[in-house]
Amino acid sequence: MAHHDAGMGKIERGSRLGGKAPMEVADQVKNVMAKELKLPVEELTDDRLLADVGAESLDVIEIIFALEEKFNIDISLKMNQGGSAGKRAETDLSNFATVGDVCRSVQALVNAKAAK
Amino acid sequence: MNRVVITGIGLASPVGHALDPFWSALTAPHSGVRALTIVPTERLSTRIAAQIDDFDPTAHFEPKFVGQLDRMSQFAVYAARAALRDSGLTLTEENVFETATIIGNGAGGQNTLDDSYCRLYGQNATRLHPLTVPRLMASAAGSQVSIDLGLKGPAWTVTSACASATHAIGQAFHMLRGGQIRFAVTGGTEACLTVGTIKGWEGLRVLTADACRPFSRTRSGIVLGEGAAMFMLERRDAAMKRGARIYAELCGFGMSADAGDLVAADAAGAARAMAGALADAALAPDGIDYVNAHGTGTTLNDKTEADALRRVFGAHADRLAISSSKAVLGHSLGAAGALELAATALAVANQTIPPTANFEEPDPDCGGLDFVPNVARQAPIRHAMSNSFAFGGLNAVLVLGRA
Repeated sequence: MAHHDAGMGKIERGSRLGGKAPMEVADQVKNVMAKELKLPVEELTDDRLLADVGAESLDVIEIIFALEEKFNIDISLKMNQGGSAGKRAETDLSNFATVGDVCRSVQALVNAKAAK
Repeated sequence: MNRVVITGIGLASPVGHALDPFWSALTAPHSGVRALTIVPTERLSTRIAAQIDDFDPTAHFEPKFVGQLDRMSQFAVYAARAALRDSGLTLTEENVFETATIIGNGAGGQNTLDDSYCRLYGQNATRLHPLTVPRLMASAAGSQVSIDLGLKGPAWTVTSACASATHAIGQAFHMLRGGQIRFAVTGGTEACLTVGTIKGWEGLRVLTADACRPFSRTRSGIVLGEGAAMFMLERRDAAMKRGARIYAELCGFGMSADAGDLVAADAAGAARAMAGALADAALAPDGIDYVNAHGTGTTLNDKTEADALRRVFGAHADRLAISSSKAVLGHSLGAAGALELAATALAVANQTIPPTANFEEPDPDCGGLDFVPNVARQAPIRHAMSNSFAFGGLNAVLVLGRA
């Protein structure tokens, strides 16, 4: 686990060492997803469905874990959609369908954390 | 081939540690899921579990012995003693050599492991308890049962995650049927409601925050549980000769591997295990009246299991009574197959189908099958099936018949 965390941290450090302006949250999210999915980041446009970029259920939870670790946030997504019928789950998979959905969710959580 | 029967059942469960309260809770139904209090929850988002909070080990074991037993072994030894007592069998200097001890367990001694790591990494302890290793080894519970009852026949532990107990019982059944042993103490045990284990489950995002609702459209995931159930198995002719009470006959055992997704159930794999159990029992699909489903309460498992049932049973699926005990018992992983076989055996013995508790509304994705919602039902059960489908794609299914 510690090994995995170290890997996550490197993305951010790398971008700073490059002397560029801090990356937008959405770009950082896409970098994390690209790394997890072993895809070029250019393929991860906002309108792409997670299912269409090869993200199966295990990939989705691994991406969420990587994003939580990178941004130090809690993403309260449940894998069981029954909640959508009962309005019980905090966030279900239907709100997490596209690459853009993931970016917006993370941006909102990062904003909420900054506002605290 | 020898016919094999269940003559004793013992258990420790979230709804009591004897058959009467266990069966009452399953049929009422009355869920054993409640507030998680046996571990600190500050660092968890999970607030519920089918926990056992009324089991006092010092009431059952000498103080010196308690220290040797991880919680999983405490449940196992307690349940094994109860199964032997329930069977009325007298162990002798001779028959202990012909008695196997085959126990299923998924996670090993997690309480011991969690405590040790908490001391070592959290509190910077310089040493750990000298019995840390023999307490936490995955085979510890099986060894403790063998030692406690003095069983000297073949003994080992089976691990296949949520199918561990069903695989263990199936192996005991086949050894008895094949004449390699005369008696078996078999079942499963699990006690892994620790902060570390629950945190791991939270990472998978399959735990529900409120209740386990198998096959209901509103289902929202798993509730973890714990416990043990043990059985005394013996040959039918010998059991009848000594006038033993017989709960049910073990008629068939089927196994398969999905060789596919690590965590998602596969209908074809599940169906092959069910069909294998029917073939092993030399039964046509329409010989089954009741299925105690794996029914975890996740979106995917329940939909996939319903699909598999339809594949195996065809039109007869519409006449099957199907229920999941997990709304009442939670999911006790390596013990689940044993606790659920106890439920299935009691269903056969009482000719009563325990319902699927917490059922709110049918799910069109679950194929319009009869999940016996919320109310127990008296009905003739000629044969019943108990399903276990594990992470890693390991499937095991048992078929029981009337005594």
